[in-house]
Amino acid sequence: MKALNRRKLISVSAVLAVASLTATAVPANAAEVGVSSSVIKLGMTLPMTGAASLGYNKIPGAAKAYFDYLNANGGVNGRKITLVVKDDRYVPTEAVARTNELILKDKVMALLAPLGTANVKAVASSVNPGRRGVPVLFVNTGFSGFADVKKYPTTFAILPSYIMEAKIMGQYIKENFAGKKIGLLYQDDDFGSDALAGFQTAGVNFAVKVPYAAGSQGAAAAAGWITKFKAAEADVVILFGVSSATSAMLGTAAVLKYAPQWMLGSVGGDATTIKLTGVPAGVLYNAIGFSPVPATTDMNDEYIKLFSDIYAKAVPGSVFDLNVLLGMNTAFMTAQALKAAGQNPTRKSLIAVLKTKGATLANSALTPVGYSANSHVGLTGYWIGKYSPAGDLLPVGGTYVTYTTDSGSGAVVKSTYKRPAMPAKGLPN
Amino acid sequence: MRKQRLVALLSASALVTGIIVSIPVAANAAPACDGKSPIQSCVGVTSDGAPYSMMVPANFNGTVALYSHGYRYNIDIPAGIPLIGGYKVTNTPEPVPGGNAAVAQYFFSQGIAVMGSGFARQGWNPDSAIATNVELIGEFKAKFPTTTKVVAWGSSLGGVITQGLAEKYPNLISAAAPMCMADNIAPQLTGAGDFLWGLKVLFDPTIKGGNYSAGAAGNAEAYGDLVKVFTIMGKLQAALATGAWPDTSSATGKALAAGGVPSRSALLLLGLMAGLPTQSAHFDSIRGPEGPLKLTFPLALSPALAILENGTNAAALAVLATQDVELQAGGAIFDNTKTDYAARIDTERVIFNAALSGNTVIDALLGALSAANPGAPRAVGNATAIAKMNALHSNTGKINVPTILMTGVADPITPAGASQRVVNAYAEQFANEKLAAFAAYKTTRSYVAPVNKLLMLWNMTPSKGYTTFTDAGSPITTTPAASGTNHCNFTSAQLVLVAKTLVSAGLTGKLPSGGPIVSAGRKAGNLVVDKDFYAPLLKYYNQ
Repeated sequence: MKALNRRKLISVSAVLAVASLTATAVPANAAEVGVSSSVIKLGMTLPMTGAASLGYNKIPGAAKAYFDYLNANGGVNGRKITLVVKDDRYVPTEAVARTNELILKDKVMALLAPLGTANVKAVASSVNPGRRGVPVLFVNTGFSGFADVKKYPTTFAILPSYIMEAKIMGQYIKENFAGKKIGLLYQDDDFGSDALAGFQTAGVNFAVKVPYAAGSQGAAAAAGWITKFKAAEADVVILFGVSSATSAMLGTAAVLKYAPQWMLGSVGGDATTIKLTGVPAGVLYNAIGFSPVPATTDMNDEYIKLFSDIYAKAVPGSVFDLNVLLGMNTAFMTAQALKAAGQNPTRKSLIAVLKTKGATLANSALTPVGYSANSHVGLTGYWIGKYSPAGDLLPVGGTYVTYTTDSGSGAVVKSTYKRPAMPAKGLPN
Repeated sequence: MRKQRLVALLSASALVTGIIVSIPVAANAAPACDGKSPIQSCVGVTSDGAPYSMMVPANFNGTVALYSHGYRYNIDIPAGIPLIGGYKVTNTPEPVPGGNAAVAQYFFSQGIAVMGSGFARQGWNPDSAIATNVELIGEFKAKFPTTTKVVAWGSSLGGVITQGLAEKYPNLISAAAPMCMADNIAPQLTGAGDFLWGLKVLFDPTIKGGNYSAGAAGNAEAYGDLVKVFTIMGKLQAALATGAWPDTSSATGKALAAGGVPSRSALLLLGLMAGLPTQSAHFDSIRGPEGPLKLTFPLALSPALAILENGTNAAALAVLATQDVELQAGGAIFDNTKTDYAARIDTERVIFNAALSGNTVIDALLGALSAANPGAPRAVGNATAIAKMNALHSNTGKINVPTILMTGVADPITPAGASQRVVNAYAEQFANEKLAAFAAYKTTRSYVAPVNKLLMLWNMTPSKGYTTFTDAGSPITTTPAASGTNHCNFTSAQLVLVAKTLVSAGLTGKLPSGGPIVSAGRKAGNLVVDKDFYAPLLKYYNQ
């Protein structure tokens, strides 16, 4: 036991107070994990290799492209951003191991854009970023539960929830396909549970619902799904699954000449990824799709123009698609949050700024972010589009009409959100 | 515990104690010593009839390390029982863990004596074993009056005994190191009961799984259960790829099979609801063979294989410890009439959704296992027996002396959560001590900071994964168990680190912190000091 008399206690307090003042006066003297005088280190785990990586493995490159652009323009308050990327192959136990490495060995300040509901849940329960105070920014999953600040105090969603998406789909179905037989393909986990909840709230009655277990998707399985949709005489088939399920279904449908009205959920709706699997672009033509961010071909949009320019220089020859846009948007939002978190950002100040100012951070999405003290819900809506003959998702009627709702029983309404102008040169202000 | 491991453990123990156990000693007499140098060996028997062994170096410096061995079955096991057949009840003293030569060498080189009791009864015995240890400490001090410090350590059940000694008699020991410590008996046997009950209602309704008869009849029932459980495990292993169900399956199981539920998913769900780790000696739930199963294997198969391996390791103790404690308590001690298994796996069902074959299958399994299904009757415990079980010694987790905990994060028998419970209790204790210190400062104007008295060493599994495959893509299960897996699977270097830290803490009253212990843990092999690591508590605490 160490005894400390009052005089010593006072002098220690005085030293601490002086140290505190000194730290405030000298911005470059940071003491947070992952933050040095010249660098802020962030970490990301994603499927970079293997069957589940297609499309998603472009996200880190896209984020790096933006961070490189940012660093070349002064970084955040003079600090460069470095991004450490680990391959989790979409396996939860591996995501846990790699995230542990990021936190304990690489000592990153924050985790960025982890992908997959199971992976994020596994990390939440085994690595405990919430307990450690490690920010988990902009998770790439629309599972509605991640908005729960009590269960996931440091995790922030970014994608609209699957419940919101299903509700907006349901509204569209009621307005455009009344009396038609509707079929649904969904992943038989929390991803699909959220979708079912949203469709139920929207009052959609399905002629047939076909679940598939994660990892079971493929051409053989797709042939079985088609048999079920055909038997139910489905006029409209909703594909609410991951890209590999959507691709398997569309590819097999093309071979079997099965052509209902397709409606694609946003998770599996990236045309570039689908086409990479050999699905002809024509199969996508007139399919209905949903997106919270502008069309990736919309060069009139200031974000798309800037991001696509940056990406083209950073990764020449790579298609600027939805995954790239989401990756760059994530990096862009992160930069702004770090800037807003103060001269010497800490994990605590970063989380605090997202709670208090996160909803006002500039970003490319056409619907607002819902962060507050009580909720970490991300974007809150979609615009509805159709795929062009080339496979590009374009807004129905040529202009974006966005719809917004919540993950509960709230109505689906047209959004009045006016996206703030992009900061000059796309740099945090 | 596997037969091979048990035999190895007993042989190693014999290396240390073999010379001395043959000396006849009357109960409760002073220890008989051989007077040899450089190591003097003494044996004796405490008043309860427990044989003990003391080994004292010629350069004895006044410190003695008291080791408490782990669980030993308290009935002989016939040779025909798979994996553990041929075991004979033994109360051979074990003064260092498994007779580990490196550990003994360390102690003796430092002038430190070692001792340990074989305990009067085997099976679950903390009440009597703590009393035995108290008496043993007295015997040692009487024989060696220059003794100044006693430090205590133990493994598994011995960890419970060590922690219990530290809680009840902190004046007798200067430091403690419970390793791969079990939880209290109710949480431990709840997990065991959940798993056995699940195997019974799905895969073989003739398994008793508890409520064993007294005497020889009960032994026969337990032996029968062991054979049935190991047989089921063998059949599940053979059917892992196809998902076929054992021919012994219940009507409930057969209905699930007819509904397309793979048996591997059913097994995984049972393991998850019992709290078994999803990493085992050879299955990491990370790696897959090259080729088409590269992703499917870790996602859909490996977790079930890990449960298969862990469940097989844990099953023998589950059966035999249940029978033992039932005998002590006088009736059935497992009761799951109110258990909500769906709530138990609320998080795991998402994480292992692919291996569980999706929500439709999970819901079908949970429906089959629900209390509402008459085809899966719940186990009803004997209230009096449960009360008696709960009256057996329990550790609160209070830390009175400098304490080192070490455990594997994927130990299938004494889950890491047992140590986590103590870590949690101490966090609260330390916070209260701080508050008390501040309160005292207000009146005395002298601040006395509380000193940290707990060091937690987590034996991690290799982060890059460790499952290996043949060229044909089959998993290899003949390699040594990975670190952090299996029961009390520690290397000599890890044990020596604990021994050194224990002795140092006993002498100085302080535990190492910061860089030195982090570095020492890494050098000893995958031991991590991470105050923010959190092992899940046993499912008992999440009813």
